[in-house]
Amino acid sequence: MELKELFNNTNVNLNLKATDKDAVLLELINLLKLDEKAKDMLFKMLKKRENLGSTGIGKGFAIPHCRSLVVDKLNVAFGRHCEGLDFKSIDGKPANFFFLIVAPPIEISNYYLPVLGKVAQFCKIQDIGAKLKEIKEIPEFLKLLEDIPN
Amino acid sequence: MKESQLRLLMFLQDLLSLKKEMQDFQVVEQYEQMGFALDKKERIEESIREVTEQLDPVLYHRFLRIAEKYDRPMAPVKNGVCYGCFVSAPTGSKLVTEHQDVIEFCNHCGRILYRID
Ligand SMILES: [Zn+2]
Repeated sequence: MELKELFNNTNVNLNLKATDKDAVLLELINLLKLDEKAKDMLFKMLKKRENLGSTGIGKGFAIPHCRSLVVDKLNVAFGRHCEGLDFKSIDGKPANFFFLIVAPPIEISNYYLPVLGKVAQFCKIQDIGAKLKEIKEIPEFLKLLEDIPN
Repeated sequence: MKESQLRLLMFLQDLLSLKKEMQDFQVVEQYEQMGFALDKKERIEESIREVTEQLDPVLYHRFLRIAEKYDRPMAPVKNGVCYGCFVSAPTGSKLVTEHQDVIEFCNHCGRILYRID
């Protein structure tokens, strides 16, 4: 499973408006096609996961993730917050780029950890943050995912 | 407003699977290699306790009994099929909690059923 296959026009938001960590999570969850009850449960679960240690891995990136019964397949979303905000990241710096990853408790294909790994790898590409700051339209983001070496 | 018992159960099961994941040394190592901090794992226990305290004792007891038998005591129902045992028309057995929630169980495998639509 390649990252470019997972993202599209509907699960990417390049202009997050949130002003705090909770609001970012909610904005990201809103990119997934879930009903209100499922969204609410997912939010709680993501918060619990954040409580174990922030998913802000530094350099402006955060990868909130969890497994949850409210989804029946792997769901992802990407959001960009131009000014950046406090996500309690490891390096103490504000986060601008958010990848949300949610998987059901058991998947036959077992994509969850590999996808998480690929996203983490993507975030470590040199100057990727600068590139992500420059893009204006979603297709440019998708192109960036396509260009990454495997 | 009181939280629905079914949703609490689903939350509990998600927490239990997170706990299980955090006990898997290899998975935790993978997480750490990816750059995630996992410094407060004991907080899962607190969360599990918080949820179980809100559950109807009879329902919780039944959940634990089912959990002895299956890794995942809860199963989704889609198109009238229990996705725990893949037997159709699973509903039948029900439990009404003290909160007046109606919880359905699969007639075939006994798992607690929920619907994702
Ligand atoms: Zn069943």
